[in-house]
Amino acid sequence: MGSSSSNMDHIPDAQHLMQETGFSAAHLVRLYERFDFLDKDDRGELRLDDFEAVSELAMNPIGDRIIRAFFSPGRETVDFPSFVRILAHFRPTDTNRTRNGRNGAQPEPANSRTNKLKFAFQLYDQDRDGKISREELLQVLRAMLEMQVTEEQLQSIAERAIQEADLDLDDTISFDEFKKSLEKVDIEHKMSIRFLE
Amino acid sequence: MPSRTGSHSPAGFGKSLPERGLLLLMVLVFLEGSVLPLGAASSPDTSHQTNLGDHQGTHTGPNSTKKPFPVLAVEYDRVQIPFEISLWVLLASLMKLGFHLIPRLSSIVPESCLLIVVGLLVGGLIKLAGEEVPPVLDSRLFFLCLLPPIILDAGYFLPIRPFMENLGTILMFAVVGTLWNAFFIGGVLYGVAQIQPANPSDLHQLELLPCLLFGSIISAVDPVAVLAVFEEIHINELLHILVFGESLLNDAVTVVLYHLFEEYAGVGTVTLLDGVLGVISFFVVALGGVLVGAIYGILAAFTSRFTSHTRVIEPLFVFVYSYMAYLSAEIFHLSGIMALIACGAVMRPYVEANISHKSHTTIKYFLKMWSSVSETLIFIFLGVATVDGPHAWNWTFVTVTVILCLVARVIGVVGLTYVINKFRIVKLTTKDQFIIAYGGLRGAIAFSLGFLLNQDHFPMRKMFLTAIITVIFFTVFVQGMTIKPLVELLAVKKKQEAKRSINEEIHTQFLDHLLTGIEDICGHYGHHHWKDKLNRFNKKYVKKCLIAGERSKEPQLIAFYHKMEMKQAIELVESGGGVKLPSAMPSTVSMQNIQPKKPPPAKPVERVLPQLPKGREEEIRKILRSNLQRTRQRLRSYNRHTLVADPYEDGFSDLLIKKQRMVELEKKIKEMSNYLTVPAAPPDSPTMCRARLASDPQAYSMKPVSDSVPTIQVDLASPQSPDSVNLLDEFRHAGQQQPEVEDQGLMMKPPSGPSGPNKPREADEARDQQKLMRCLSDPGPSADEDEDEPFLP
Repeated sequence: MGSSSSNMDHIPDAQHLMQETGFSAAHLVRLYERFDFLDKDDRGELRLDDFEAVSELAMNPIGDRIIRAFFSPGRETVDFPSFVRILAHFRPTDTNRTRNGRNGAQPEPANSRTNKLKFAFQLYDQDRDGKISREELLQVLRAMLEMQVTEEQLQSIAERAIQEADLDLDDTISFDEFKKSLEKVDIEHKMSIRFLE
Repeated sequence: MPSRTGSHSPAGFGKSLPERGLLLLMVLVFLEGSVLPLGAASSPDTSHQTNLGDHQGTHTGPNSTKKPFPVLAVEYDRVQIPFEISLWVLLASLMKLGFHLIPRLSSIVPESCLLIVVGLLVGGLIKLAGEEVPPVLDSRLFFLCLLPPIILDAGYFLPIRPFMENLGTILMFAVVGTLWNAFFIGGVLYGVAQIQPANPSDLHQLELLPCLLFGSIISAVDPVAVLAVFEEIHINELLHILVFGESLLNDAVTVVLYHLFEEYAGVGTVTLLDGVLGVISFFVVALGGVLVGAIYGILAAFTSRFTSHTRVIEPLFVFVYSYMAYLSAEIFHLSGIMALIACGAVMRPYVEANISHKSHTTIKYFLKMWSSVSETLIFIFLGVATVDGPHAWNWTFVTVTVILCLVARVIGVVGLTYVINKFRIVKLTTKDQFIIAYGGLRGAIAFSLGFLLNQDHFPMRKMFLTAIITVIFFTVFVQGMTIKPLVELLAVKKKQEAKRSINEEIHTQFLDHLLTGIEDICGHYGHHHWKDKLNRFNKKYVKKCLIAGERSKEPQLIAFYHKMEMKQAIELVESGGGVKLPSAMPSTVSMQNIQPKKPPPAKPVERVLPQLPKGREEEIRKILRSNLQRTRQRLRSYNRHTLVADPYEDGFSDLLIKKQRMVELEKKIKEMSNYLTVPAAPPDSPTMCRARLASDPQAYSMKPVSDSVPTIQVDLASPQSPDSVNLLDEFRHAGQQQPEVEDQGLMMKPPSGPSGPNKPREADEARDQQKLMRCLSDPGPSADEDEDEPFLP
């Protein structure tokens, strides 16, 4: 890896980003290299087609949702800080961080369990109304099952899923219900990537 | 309960069941002890007699005296071996029965300890009778007959996902940990043996290599013992898979070390070349074993693809292929245990997609049964072999060994965890480390390996055996008995009992895709990336080859969903007919008349509810009630043990979905009948209603707007008759209090039913729980949960 100090100069707001996301300098450099690689036209920001150039994403059933998650609503491009902020959700959880030890003004880090789940929730909840409706769930199921099932089966699965999770019986899954249905899953492990140096 | 053990009064009616159980136990032990020596004693006699008889017969000439025809003859030697084997198996099984009849005993003392004690008793009895104890823990018998069922059971039901996720950690513990243990124990023992120059003892004869060999035998964590003890303490999945996985994978290390040291112990030296060859041999043994197992697994999966016409022998293929894998690996001195695990794990997802449900049940039960009997026998034999000896007790050697085993284990675990935690996302805490260290139990494998040693090459064999037995006893008794209270004391996370819900399944798959996508964006070829690639490969090529027919295209989620529904259906049937059964509804009620509480914007149909005059409502109530009675009567005459015909072959899934809709429909209507909102319907006779409903499911073709959990209906009376749709609803009506009606009057509120399908009603909770327990209490503790694990999830 090249001289990190010179690379760091290219990164705007590096110190601030490091503090905000918790990435180390080495991680940030590597992410910047990747950002650079994806940014084919060297514009300093990523557009939709840059993401779509990643071939494996095309095969991913929810690839388009993931790509869209990088773009803040209303914006057409992704700059490096936004890129890093999204990826910060997938950092392994720091177990020794005491959230209540510090002053309460400190916001929860991006890679806390709740924030990880929130990110996943937003991928389901495309219209951002804070709830996963039956239709949204059906869309996800359709995407994942790739048209190999009949509509009836999809309906029954979605039906059952909603009934199991829906505690306040409003026929949608709110974020809390989502969290509750995943309480037995080890999210900290599942939604973490070991960012290599 | 006062314990009146030993009271052999003939009038046993006053005693309660546990005491009878104890009495039965003791009688059996005496019986066992007496029959075996009898058998050994009588066989030479009878054979002698028959020989004599023949001899006499051939010498009789024409004027021989005619012997009277023997009405009753005793010829034991012909059936001796199978008879004794069966007797042992019977003893083992009756012991198992007996222990569970005595409630408090089984909660304090783990089964393995009790069985060893029984073995000691039986061995003692045989010795008292003066007969020779049969060499029960003969290595061939052990490795070829007793061990494979247990390992196959473990491998077939191995939870693949946690195993693969923690594979690195498990391998570290298994390989590096065992190596460390072996060398540390062997080395220090040698050192200890060399000191005390003042009074030369037997120990001085001990060479380095035999010490190392002993170290390698004693250092391996034993899967049988671990399984036996850990099954009863129900700790969380991670720890269980770590210790258990380690016990399985260290077999390769043990095999290599054992053969290496055994080979060269005679020569006396091990050169560097031998060491290098040993390392290479390790890889060959481990990977070769896995490869052999995988090949046989694929063969088994492929064979199962064609068994649709001969369902009866399907389980046989699973067993025979696995056993062949084990034996084939043993031919080449590869790791048989790893072959067996690989075979079971590889073949399982494909075989389960191909075989019928009954075969699946058969396989499950047979595996559990065999492994249970095997485990029981192994522990009993351990006890018997202990009594048998030969023993050479040496205080120094034995005590140092026991202490060293503990110390080495602790140091090994702590040191390895320190290194491993650098690479783990979820670190191992101190509590975890303690349990891992404490759970390193030794067992019968160590004893059998010691037994295999040649007395000429290893003059200290007796001492080794004594030490091995002491360590085994120590770990099984002391550690086995205390681990449960320690787990409670340390508040270690326990296993989570609830089954996987469909939500978890959906979201887990979703997260898998998400993480794969993120990894692709980062350009990071991690865990998820390779798993995804493997999944794709599996779906594209492998499944097409190995799974018959349409099932090969079935996505995993659907398979999981089907399995879940099926399981529920069977649970409902087995737990008996329901008390509250919603019956078939008048079929002319149309769904168009129901309006949900909050119509989501996407809903196409807006429905309005007409009002029902009061008299009508009464009539409908009466019809419902009478239907209820009728279905209940029919239910009683049904044999609850008969399952539905094979679901997948008979298009059960479509039936299920249609019936689900019908039940949702019914539920809704039943609810509505409380709100005076059932639309006008001419009350047909119940049979007519049922017939119409059942035969014309397409009448309800719109999207099901159900507010209650879909119930599973099982066609009870006969497999496919649509007339007899019976709708079971054990758990749906749990505590359904009527929610307050909105003043709009015409709207229907969803009932506040239970959130999960498994919550029993408060009123009948105890009874239903009991029934569920009965049908779910067999075979083994972790059987049901494990099945929900999809392959490569």
